[in-house]
Amino acid sequence: MNYDIDFFYVLKGIDQLLEGLLVTVQLTATSVVFGVTGGFLVCLMVMSKSRLLRLPAMTFIEIFRCTPALIQIVWIFYCVPMLFNVFLDPFVMGVLALSLNLVAFNAEAYRAAIQAIPKAHLDASVALGLTPLQTNLYVILPQALRLAMPVLVTNAISIFQQSALVAIVAIEDLMYMGKLLSTETYRPIETFTFVALMYFAIALPVMLLSSRLEKRYKAANS
Amino acid sequence: MSSINTHLEMSASTSDVSNENADAFVSIRGLEKSYGPDIHVLKGLDLDMQPGDRIVVIGPSGGGKSTLLRCMMGLEEIAAGDITLGGEGYISAAPAKKGRNNLNKDVQKRVGMVFQHYTLFPHLTILGNLTLASVKSRGISRQDAEAKAMGLLERFGLSDKAKAHPSQLSGGQKQRVAIARALMLSPELMLFDEVTSALDPELVNEVESVMLQLAEQQMPMMIVTHDMWFAKNIATRVVFCAGGVIVEDGTPEQLFGNPKEQRTRDFLENVLHAGH
Amino acid sequence: MTYTIDFLFLLEYWDALLGGLITSLQVTGLCLLLGLGLGFLVSLMRISNNKLIFAASTVYVELFRGTPVLIQLFWIFFCLPLILGTEISNFTSAVIALTLYMGAISSETFRASLLSIDNDQSDACVALGLGPLTKIMYVILPQAVLRAVPTLLSNTVSLFKESALVSAVGMADLMYIGQNISSVTAKPVEMLTAVAFIYFIIAFPLTRSVSMLERKLIHKIAI
Repeated sequence: MNYDIDFFYVLKGIDQLLEGLLVTVQLTATSVVFGVTGGFLVCLMVMSKSRLLRLPAMTFIEIFRCTPALIQIVWIFYCVPMLFNVFLDPFVMGVLALSLNLVAFNAEAYRAAIQAIPKAHLDASVALGLTPLQTNLYVILPQALRLAMPVLVTNAISIFQQSALVAIVAIEDLMYMGKLLSTETYRPIETFTFVALMYFAIALPVMLLSSRLEKRYKAANS
Repeated sequence: MSSINTHLEMSASTSDVSNENADAFVSIRGLEKSYGPDIHVLKGLDLDMQPGDRIVVIGPSGGGKSTLLRCMMGLEEIAAGDITLGGEGYISAAPAKKGRNNLNKDVQKRVGMVFQHYTLFPHLTILGNLTLASVKSRGISRQDAEAKAMGLLERFGLSDKAKAHPSQLSGGQKQRVAIARALMLSPELMLFDEVTSALDPELVNEVESVMLQLAEQQMPMMIVTHDMWFAKNIATRVVFCAGGVIVEDGTPEQLFGNPKEQRTRDFLENVLHAGH
Repeated sequence: MTYTIDFLFLLEYWDALLGGLITSLQVTGLCLLLGLGLGFLVSLMRISNNKLIFAASTVYVELFRGTPVLIQLFWIFFCLPLILGTEISNFTSAVIALTLYMGAISSETFRASLLSIDNDQSDACVALGLGPLTKIMYVILPQAVLRAVPTLLSNTVSLFKESALVSAVGMADLMYIGQNISSVTAKPVEMLTAVAFIYFIIAFPLTRSVSMLERKLIHKIAI
């Protein structure tokens, strides 16, 4: 191997990388906020009795779950400005694409959670004389949130990884900065390894926390 | 003079006892088994089984009954003790080998076991379940194995289920298939671990009839069951197992009719009252 | 500038798109086979008692699940040639990267299904005197594979979607062709929509088949 590993060049560019990381984190955090709330709303639409609400919601979910995230990002980036005659900040378009993707996956997570609530609980609510609204608010919602939580966290981690794709449309996130630095320094091994470890260092604690929460939840419910 | 005679008598009777042990079909000595440092399930259990015996083991939960059977099948590592079958060494504890016992696999092949939850292989047909071990481990040809399997299924009234999957059978049918599966290997000893406990009451009878059939054919058995009526019907001996040892041992009439130990009495009272 | 939508021009490019689709499917298919094999081996390592084997396999799985696929791809494409001292085609690096990805996610699927098989099944094998090889091949493996199929189908759909990334290292897959044509013709709306649609009509039936399969399998074999 004719290559001297030297992380010095990476450390020189650390500022660039941290700027990129900031963008990545902002992208992810914003998308997660929209994704968690939007996902719930879309879930309600999917489970509603009205076809007018249900069909568009279902179509939306299937489109965003059955196509690559990359094409979603590229489509929004190139087509939205042209179609709607608007100029949007690249960051905004990135958030839009990632949020829509996350909303679709989260809607499925919420739906599975609501359907996993044992029917016995609904029967008990009727037996206790709760109104539908009370049942929704005090029985269904808390349980749905708790059941959906592990999947919501997994989806958030997933969107964090997917956010690297926005580098392809030249949004200056961690991935983009990493690639830039690797070409500037001619040191792809150190740069890419370091960037990968940065992503990993953020994702790993969240993944561990999530599995610990899942285990506690399983233990509490068995 | 008389004291010498008494002494001779005594030594004669001692040698009779050891001769009895030498003829015993199954001999269990000093069986100890723990799960972790705190939970001692078997605490030096001794039991002999005579040729042709059908022993029913009764006792409270956690008293060691199922563990005894599992040790007999070689499913558990024992901490101390040894088991012989037909005069041959079967299982003995070997602390030097880091907790792995000495297990005579040839003897193990002569023991069959039926479990509480059937444990059939869900992805195979009934016929597949019955013939798998014969074909793969005993080197019997597929045709011979299938012929024997169909024979057993007919005896148990299940020949129309040969191509079905376990999920399509009732609990009683599955259990009878499980018994047939064990019988395919011509065991010399059959172990039944609470085989009717998981069944709906109306299905218990069909399984117990099959076991009575086997009893008529003189199959040696060790049975753990809660069904006292069935125990009286099938057993040649009943043993009461509690606290990890055999507390009392006798014929069904002796044990159910006139239990000697207080613990046995208490247990039987509770069981008889709970059943009503 | 208003944009007039015109889908008809797409017909001119149908053969280029088809070529791209075939490349995408080839990459997906190849990485599926290799990845499943790798994933199964790794899942066995993940349930081993040997600490070294367990640690190595766990590090591999967590790394590939905890980092973006894009960086995995870039790393293989840019760094591996330097380490090995030879040139690696974009096809090879794409296959290596996606195989490693599929290996990691499918190993979790296999591991979950292996662990879900009752210990009772092992007991029955002992009671029947089945040897370890027979037990694995005829009792454990068939059940593990059958249980894993629904999730493996989901993993396959994920793999197909991630395959779009190979366009980033210059492979002429569906995504690459689509982007190329849309910039050349300045008609991104029609072209990118068409590309998205093609991905959709392949991924959607696969995801639907998951639920259908689950119902049929569970009905017949109660696994």
